[in-house]
Amino acid sequence: MSAKKIFFAVCLLAINFFPLLQAQQVDSHVAHNMEDPRGQNDMGDLQSNHGEHNMTLDSDGMAMNSNWQTLPQDCAKIIREYKFEVYAGTEFSSDYPGTIYGMSEREILVEPCSSVTIKFINTDDIRHQWMIHGLPRYLYPGGMFHLEAAGGQIREGTFIVPSDDKTYLVHCDMAQHMEMGMKAQLKVGKGSGDLWSIPGVSRSFRPDTYLPKASRNYLMLALFVGAMLTALILHLWRRY
Amino acid sequence: MRIRLLFIAILSALVCLPAQWYPEPIRLLFSDWFGAQDYRARPNSLAATELASEVACPEDLQAWREAQTIAGVDIRSSPTCVADNPSAVAAFVRGTNNVSQQVLLDSGLTPDAVEKGRDLDGDGDPDEIHIRLEVAELNGSSPDLNELTAQYAIAPGIKPGFWVFVPKTFGMATENFESLKARSILRVPSPAIRVEQGDKIKITLENSHYMPHTVHFHGVDHPFVDADGEGNDGVPITSEQPVMPGGVRTYDMQPRQTGTMFYHCHVQPQVHIMMGLQGLFIVEENRPDNWLQTLNVGAGQVRVPSVAVAEEFDREYDLQYLDIDRELNNLIQASSDPRVITEQMHNRYDITDATSDYFTINGRSFPYTFRESLVVTKPNEHIKLRVVNGGSSGIALHTHGHKVTTTHLDGVETNPAARVTRDVVWIASAQRVDLDLETTNDGLHSYGSGIWLFHDHQEKGITTDGVSPGGNISAIVYEEYLQENGWPKTQGVDYDPYFTEAYYRKELPVWGGLAGSVFLMVGTDRWMLLRLLGFALSLGMIIVLLLGFIRKRAH
Ligand SMILES: [Cu+2]
Ligand SMILES: [Cu+2]
Repeated sequence: MSAKKIFFAVCLLAINFFPLLQAQQVDSHVAHNMEDPRGQNDMGDLQSNHGEHNMTLDSDGMAMNSNWQTLPQDCAKIIREYKFEVYAGTEFSSDYPGTIYGMSEREILVEPCSSVTIKFINTDDIRHQWMIHGLPRYLYPGGMFHLEAAGGQIREGTFIVPSDDKTYLVHCDMAQHMEMGMKAQLKVGKGSGDLWSIPGVSRSFRPDTYLPKASRNYLMLALFVGAMLTALILHLWRRY
Repeated sequence: MRIRLLFIAILSALVCLPAQWYPEPIRLLFSDWFGAQDYRARPNSLAATELASEVACPEDLQAWREAQTIAGVDIRSSPTCVADNPSAVAAFVRGTNNVSQQVLLDSGLTPDAVEKGRDLDGDGDPDEIHIRLEVAELNGSSPDLNELTAQYAIAPGIKPGFWVFVPKTFGMATENFESLKARSILRVPSPAIRVEQGDKIKITLENSHYMPHTVHFHGVDHPFVDADGEGNDGVPITSEQPVMPGGVRTYDMQPRQTGTMFYHCHVQPQVHIMMGLQGLFIVEENRPDNWLQTLNVGAGQVRVPSVAVAEEFDREYDLQYLDIDRELNNLIQASSDPRVITEQMHNRYDITDATSDYFTINGRSFPYTFRESLVVTKPNEHIKLRVVNGGSSGIALHTHGHKVTTTHLDGVETNPAARVTRDVVWIASAQRVDLDLETTNDGLHSYGSGIWLFHDHQEKGITTDGVSPGGNISAIVYEEYLQENGWPKTQGVDYDPYFTEAYYRKELPVWGGLAGSVFLMVGTDRWMLLRLLGFALSLGMIIVLLLGFIRKRAH
């Protein structure tokens, strides 16, 4: 009897929390998504101290902190050279209901100490960004590498990743673009787990519920039926 | 047994019921028999809590307030605590295509944000102007983090959702990756646009938002269709398809008439205008060497006024009023699915049932208005106020200590011989009035130097969700009443409570800051609560016992 109960409870928990178990280290990942490394506020306003960033800006877009030669401290040499074409725009959201913007590459896998060249192709008429966070700050001011392409433009840039297995956040930082689907991850080596809310890769940490309009009535009905059934069972049990 | 229980329950109910709630005849009878009840002290006031106040007047670390010359543009000083970025002002005047890379980087603008081309009439200023506007969402929701995105507070702790037209920028929407605060150029209201009469204007809407939008030019001379026959009026039900997310549209115009006008989105306007997709649109007189500050971010002081305005007036301010229904604006914070948000805003939300909760001037409510929306003056000046009511109902704009003169209504000059000078100006929704604020101490136009409030005199307008002081209160401040840092030398109550979130959450006593104040929040009477609980318990017992009797009898 009690063994059955426990089995039941475990099943229930598993159904509800399996997604949480699957994406390990819940807290650190949510934090990583947007907050990491909040608190080490050493970057300041981008607009005010862009001086320390290595940046090019023109009407086709910008590239910031490109680095194709300086090795991270923990790398002896460049192990591999990668080149990825990343398309970005509204059309890349069409496979994922409830998103508006998207990128063609949402999961990029590279080996440690490799150089990564991103060719960022914007298929919309407005600007978009390919921005990666969490790179070593001694090489990349603010820990970021950033490509920005004006509407219909292409931007290319290179950076070199360090040696540790880590998952990096990639997104477009225009207001609501990441929230509306322009989010990806770059895994170095085995990575350090999946980030949340990457279309096709992981679900949202705080998803909408999508219940039918009359769901409150259904719930009340279920509550009532549950009570009635229990009463009936108890009644029958007592009788026979 | 039951009878005995019932008796005990009734007795206990009677004992527990506070004597003050007995029926009055019984109380009078008791009073006659026993006299007045003994003294029992009322609960003590709650101890005043330590205020976690924000800094009223943040330090001007980047020296944005000072008068300065950037890219050959003389930018006036901005006397209030918080000033616009002067590099952006310079770039708006010269054109983002005509300033150095350094000015552009300091401004945060893209090279094509405001392009200025040829001087068509040979009078020394550019007449081909191309403005690019994006749409930004402030205080939106995140599918992952339980905090708002691109945050913008109108008052301490008050962050309603907004959509705004914004100048085209590069880089992040927030101050930096560690911050959730929107960068200063992304704010409410949408920038005031200034163009010259007769200029060839192109305005491109780059829809970077997740909903369809347009721009409608209210009161501005523009053709219904452009040269290609494409819709140019921004109205989806008459002239054109809305601009979809990721898409762009360019509107063309060459305004023949001057005046203070208005622009706003015309897609589902009852929602989109109220979400903040609206701004001032000013057509200035055509004058030689008239380099205009094409955009005035967040409205407010015009740091580079036009030639015509500078001739006639000492200073110029753009003032935009907007009231906010939290039930609408916060819908974008309840979901991260654009389909859900669309349905909630456009199918479910009913503006005919709306009540406004927040009242703003230039995107802020008191006390933040005192940081950046003061009208600063010296005696014997003329100040041009261009006022638009972007809100859902009229405002009764009242100036303390001054009577202002209405020079233009909806951009059209009023008869100089028949101008009205008064201290309450009624402005209906979408109406614009140009006011001449004269600071001559003659007992009519001005009663002299000081700190004089101006605000909507429909009293809800001076509240923030009913809490006062709040809403659209701002002030006309004479320079001698202004501190070095731009904060007015008020001599009334302490402002610390107003710079706490707790005050606008209604958790602080309104007169808590007054010395020796007795009006603190009152403590609770636990004994009274205990007696009531006892009474309720007894009553419950009585009901069940009585029901038991009825059932027994029925059997
Ligand atoms: Cu984007
Ligand atoms: Cu709209």
